[in-house]
Amino acid sequence: MPLNRSEGDLEIHFEIDDGMVSEARSAGTMYRGFENLLKGRSPLDGLVITPRICGICCTAQLKAAVKALDMIAGARVPDDAIRVRNLTLMAEQLQNDLRHTFLLFTPDFTSPAYREHSLFEEAVKRYRPLKGEAVIPTIRETKKIIEIIAILGGQWPHSSFMVPGGVVSVPGQNDIIQCRSLLANFRHWYERRILGCTLARWSDVKTLEDLDLWLHEKPAHQESELGFFIRFSREAQLHQLGNGHPNFISFGAYEMPVNTGLKAPSAGFLFPPGFFNNGAMNPFDQEKITEDVTFSHFKSHGDPRHPFEETTVIETPHDNTEAYSWGKAPRYDGYPAETGPLAELVIASNPLIKRLLDKDGPNVFIRQLARLIRPAFLLPAMDCWLKETGVGNETFYQKNEQLENGRGFGLIQAHRGALGHWVTLEDGKIAEYQVITPTAWNASPRDREGIRGPWEEALVGTIIKNPEHPVEIQHTIRSFDPCMVCCVHTIEGNRPIAKILC
Amino acid sequence: MSTTLYWIQGGGCGGDTWSFLSAESPDLTELFDILSIEMLWHPSLSALDPQSKEQLDRRILEDEIPLDILCVEGSIIQGPSGTGLADTLLGRPKKDLIGALAEKAFHVIAVGTCASFGGFGTDQETEATGMQFHKHDLGGFLGKKYKSKSGFPVINLPGCPCHSDVLAGTLSALANDLPLELNETNSPLDWYRIMVHQGCTRNEYHEYRVEEKQFGEKGCLFFYMGCQGPLVKGPCNKILWNRRSSKTRVGVPCFGCTRPDFPPRHPFFKTRNIEGIPIELPAGVSRAHYMAYKGMAAAAAPKRLIKRKSGI
Repeated sequence: MPLNRSEGDLEIHFEIDDGMVSEARSAGTMYRGFENLLKGRSPLDGLVITPRICGICCTAQLKAAVKALDMIAGARVPDDAIRVRNLTLMAEQLQNDLRHTFLLFTPDFTSPAYREHSLFEEAVKRYRPLKGEAVIPTIRETKKIIEIIAILGGQWPHSSFMVPGGVVSVPGQNDIIQCRSLLANFRHWYERRILGCTLARWSDVKTLEDLDLWLHEKPAHQESELGFFIRFSREAQLHQLGNGHPNFISFGAYEMPVNTGLKAPSAGFLFPPGFFNNGAMNPFDQEKITEDVTFSHFKSHGDPRHPFEETTVIETPHDNTEAYSWGKAPRYDGYPAETGPLAELVIASNPLIKRLLDKDGPNVFIRQLARLIRPAFLLPAMDCWLKETGVGNETFYQKNEQLENGRGFGLIQAHRGALGHWVTLEDGKIAEYQVITPTAWNASPRDREGIRGPWEEALVGTIIKNPEHPVEIQHTIRSFDPCMVCCVHTIEGNRPIAKILC
Repeated sequence: MSTTLYWIQGGGCGGDTWSFLSAESPDLTELFDILSIEMLWHPSLSALDPQSKEQLDRRILEDEIPLDILCVEGSIIQGPSGTGLADTLLGRPKKDLIGALAEKAFHVIAVGTCASFGGFGTDQETEATGMQFHKHDLGGFLGKKYKSKSGFPVINLPGCPCHSDVLAGTLSALANDLPLELNETNSPLDWYRIMVHQGCTRNEYHEYRVEEKQFGEKGCLFFYMGCQGPLVKGPCNKILWNRRSSKTRVGVPCFGCTRPDFPPRHPFFKTRNIEGIPIELPAGVSRAHYMAYKGMAAAAAPKRLIKRKSGI
């Protein structure tokens, strides 16, 4: 079945036995060939081409691309450039988290499947596409916060202001003042309309009891977007939907400048890197990443390979092969892993999220909750870094060596999770470029052990109450914030098991 | 009576949609109200039931619902090997649906460079092309002779992404039956006869040939850094991006994203030149005169510019 409101096209093929999903396969339906398009080009060209992989996370692609080149150049990136890179990515993330929630996820609450839900009418009032009371302010406020990217980087979407050694822009005092005003306005809206309380009040919510106390404390909390989302989700029992693999991966988000007043919660990052495997936290090591192509229409080189060894060579699909996807299956230490805001907060040991996870396992409610509360962690850090930008004698760019030969990787947390670029240069040209996007992790097909990818696993066992309105499938997939245009090497799965329009 | 609008995405990144959401005064929702536009379908914004969507498509194709404006975002993917299977809907090539809808539409707008001219993926395994142009050549997916029911060819709004004001203005003109004058690549003259360079705050540096040779130097980006601002049409520095700035203002070269042959094969951050003078010069200038003018301009450059004391 085709699923819209994912960035790009996606079809889910599944089997239903007695109203329950017994098997699921996910297939992107578009192939754009970006990795192969980069080969033979000048090293800096990746900074222009990879943002065009995705219109909603172009700044994230740019940051991954520039970090790979920083590594090859051995660049020392000045603190102010680190701040500008982080601030622009954070502005894009605020935009993404709110737009995803109110333009892409909650419109499903207006489905006829919820006619009997006691909050249905209010959900329609809030979430009706282009008209809803939550939708209109979301469009208005998110476009304002991304003005920060235009001030510091020229335009959004699709700028290329990050270069090895820093950023090209030299923001002046007035630019920073403008950014601070935009941030203050956004924060005011987020506190008033989304949370219904101050960031300080929300930060006290650490346990399940705290959450109930907060919700019942005053009408402003119940009526806020967060409060309403919690109330709607509880009655719809979204915490029982979409239980998947208990593995999470984060590459680490927002590296700290060397000199900053912001306290690093852990190891130089605002959100630490890590691999959470069935209750145990493990340090992250990029060497343990492999790409498995057993069920993909790509040429296999034997054992799954690390992205530096991997190449993308398409094979023509034949109906008699086992392969069903043009997406590769990324694995960490052999395991599939979920990535995104939930993974970030689990690996950052956020007390509320950890307790919810212990109680119900990974599910639709907790994934979307993590996305909706993530801005509360970004806003104070942005405030701090904006105040610090341009006040010292630091420059925004440090010249470095010509890019000729070598290889480097750029690993970041994009809005949907772990994003990696692995780049090999030979004789001043791009020899190989591998991208593993967050959606490649989440939408992964099976691997050679037959282990399903995260959202395939999350779908299996789902009870579909009304096959005409399979909101359960829609919620589960959308809770991962799917971005199929990001599946840079994904193409139509050719063996549909069942096709139910979604 | 309302104007119906259907938005379909081919081989693209969604960037034109997200750019459109930045429309201001009026914003997207206000614009649709003012123009009485009824959005029948948008893949990222609609919440139609799957069955209702299939029914909608059928009813449009059977002339039960008029389709006033069809917006196409992203290239038309024809590969691999002409099958169109690299971009499908329910197992069928998406291009078939796009072609069928274009036959029913009163107006067709190609939103962004990929839909207009092919953009990313032209001459690659995906065999991408534009709605009615393949790079510079009229033809593309729908062919040279195609006209929508209004008698217009496909209206091209190139840019990677297309600026929200350009799309909002075009929709306003069409919904109000105002005349829309098109240039040689079927783009509205209002936005595509101005050069990207016009309005750039680095123009004074350009005037006196005070050029940037490395990032962040404050100077003009045309001679060395690959900037195509003086060569390429687009309103970036007139209407600005996100109401704030532009790439060239902050020091990112213009990559010529409205050009029919975008993306070029040569490096983005480097100006191709002969003896220090760019190979590609502003349209219509004589090379000898240009060299003489630029030499004199450089000699006349005031110290405050040479020392990069001027603001940008």
